Amino acid sequence: MNPLLVRAPLFAIGVLVTPAITVSWIGDAEERLEEAEASPEEAEVAIASASDEGYCNANLKKVLRRVLQSCGLLSSGDVRGCQPLEAKNVATMQGDDFNALFLPLEERAGIIQFDKEDSALDAGDEQMLAQVFADQRGASYFFVVARSSPEGSEQFNRELSEKRGKAVLSYLQATFPDPDLEKEVGLLWLGEEYAQLHEDFCTWTRSGEECTPADLNRSAFVAWIDCQL
Amino acid sequence: MKPRIPLILFLLGCIAGIVFATISAGDFAQHLDRQVHSIHCSILPGGAPDVSGSSGCHVALMSPYASFLKGVVWGGIPVALPGIALFVFMAYRALSMWAGRRQSDRASVVFLILISALPVLTSLVFGGIAIFELETLCKTCMGIYLSSFVCFGSALGLLIKTGAPSYEDDDAAKQADDDPVARPAPNPVLHHLTGLAESGVFVVVPLIAYVALAPDHSVYAGQCGTLTNPEDPYGVFVPLGQQATGEDAIEVFDPLCPACAGFEKRLVSSGLDAELKRKAVLFPLDNACNWMVSSALHPGACTISEAVLCAGPEADAVVAWAFEQQDAIRTAAATDPEAAKRMVVAAFPSVAKCVGSPDVKTKINRSLRWAVTNKLPVLTPQLYVGGTKLCDEDTDLGLDYALAHLLDREAP
Repeated sequence: MNPLLVRAPLFAIGVLVTPAITVSWIGDAEERLEEAEASPEEAEVAIASASDEGYCNANLKKVLRRVLQSCGLLSSGDVRGCQPLEAKNVATMQGDDFNALFLPLEERAGIIQFDKEDSALDAGDEQMLAQVFADQRGASYFFVVARSSPEGSEQFNRELSEKRGKAVLSYLQATFPDPDLEKEVGLLWLGEEYAQLHEDFCTWTRSGEECTPADLNRSAFVAWIDCQL
Repeated sequence: MKPRIPLILFLLGCIAGIVFATISAGDFAQHLDRQVHSIHCSILPGGAPDVSGSSGCHVALMSPYASFLKGVVWGGIPVALPGIALFVFMAYRALSMWAGRRQSDRASVVFLILISALPVLTSLVFGGIAIFELETLCKTCMGIYLSSFVCFGSALGLLIKTGAPSYEDDDAAKQADDDPVARPAPNPVLHHLTGLAESGVFVVVPLIAYVALAPDHSVYAGQCGTLTNPEDPYGVFVPLGQQATGEDAIEVFDPLCPACAGFEKRLVSSGLDAELKRKAVLFPLDNACNWMVSSALHPGACTISEAVLCAGPEADAVVAWAFEQQDAIRTAAATDPEAAKRMVVAAFPSVAKCVGSPDVKTKINRSLRWAVTNKLPVLTPQLYVGGTKLCDEDTDLGLDYALAHLLDREAP
């Protein structure tokens, strides 16, 4: 028997085996590709976004939006900070209710305690402020709520509170040069007549050692707010 | 005539080789649909597919060694494809010898030994790569290696038998084999050349079919989005590699992400890194600093990312070290939050003061916020060339092909 007669059909079959498998694979893959293109599935991958925590209730967002607007943060104006009366107006609630909005921020906030009649940050204040500010995570807004204790005149305390808020802002601007800073840091100075902190806040992160109501309110409350507006 | 036992073993080796190589090449080729698939990873054909994505077979399949001509066809041609063709060819030769009564033909047997030495040598090379380079073993590949050795050993056995004075099992077959009409004495050189030509046909035809029929993936280049805000107002970009020439590219990655380490290997292996002026944006998938993930997918990634930002001109070295050590770092950091810092400071003492500082924590945060500004998907790695995204489906097997097309598209 001519060996060629044996080998030829074997050769033909053999040569075609691998291409046949290849064609089958590619055909299947192409079919799946066309199916996927015809009915694209919704992407399951999350998109990067700022955080919006559960404590961002409607009241907090309302206050946040109003404060940010009246303090100029949601526009490009030069206005920064709010007068105490304006703060009351934007919050439209009792001082305790206003403070209650910030209670869920215990892990995110710090209370910078100033010396009496003083608005200068000492080294301990700066260290705590830097730590709180560096821990931004996904928060969009950094709130500075400056206060003063009831001693002295209302006018003096209002000005002192403003100075304290601005001292915090100055430090942040000097330490964290950042094009977004101006849009992120909201200042609010409350003077002595609205939303004084009570002793429950003594357990929060603070830069001072003493914690009488007076010590606690010679302060600037600082916190990142994890809310989207 | 009856086939000799070594020839039967040889054929069985070929069949096993065809099965394992088909599984391997099939697992590779199924990715031509740009989707994620489980792959087979068992020494026993038919074993359940591996869905972990971390098996030795997965590592081998995703390695730069799994295919060739990667710039010609998306993913390249799987190395197992010519493997199938070679085993089919060897089976054809063995069947021809049996059916053509040439089991005792010395030239045919010698050719069988020579041709079966090829998969053995290939197995040795790829086995070495698996052990020393990939540091893992692919069970399906081992099936191919084993089949190769069975074929080669059987061919040697057949040669020994051919040298024997007579068949032990079939005198009639010997008579037939010795029949000068049925078995004209071939010119050994011509015989081997003919065999080589035949093997060339067996191997080349499927390769041509694969290249010619594979879906055209070039149409996807540049179709996966662009950066809306590619500027770096926060100063968080980290230069990677040579910065002298090339297309501007931004790589979003996590230094402890295995896919990122694999991506880096593939990119360097492709040689296309030399055509990119790369800047890294760190995106650690670790909830210690990244609020976008609910748990630490890669424990310690925030700390190591801080170290990269702290390292200045040494950033490349820290990234390379992190890719190398990422298993150990992740494991240690999972139980001890300070472990990652200890490890990176031990390797790069100059970053000791900087890691953990408010300044670098802010920088990491800005890096993550850059991703928010650009509305990036929460995954790594991502590569943007001239602001245009390399599709996620192209960051592994199809990297060489897709990136080359993206570079062509972005070239002025």
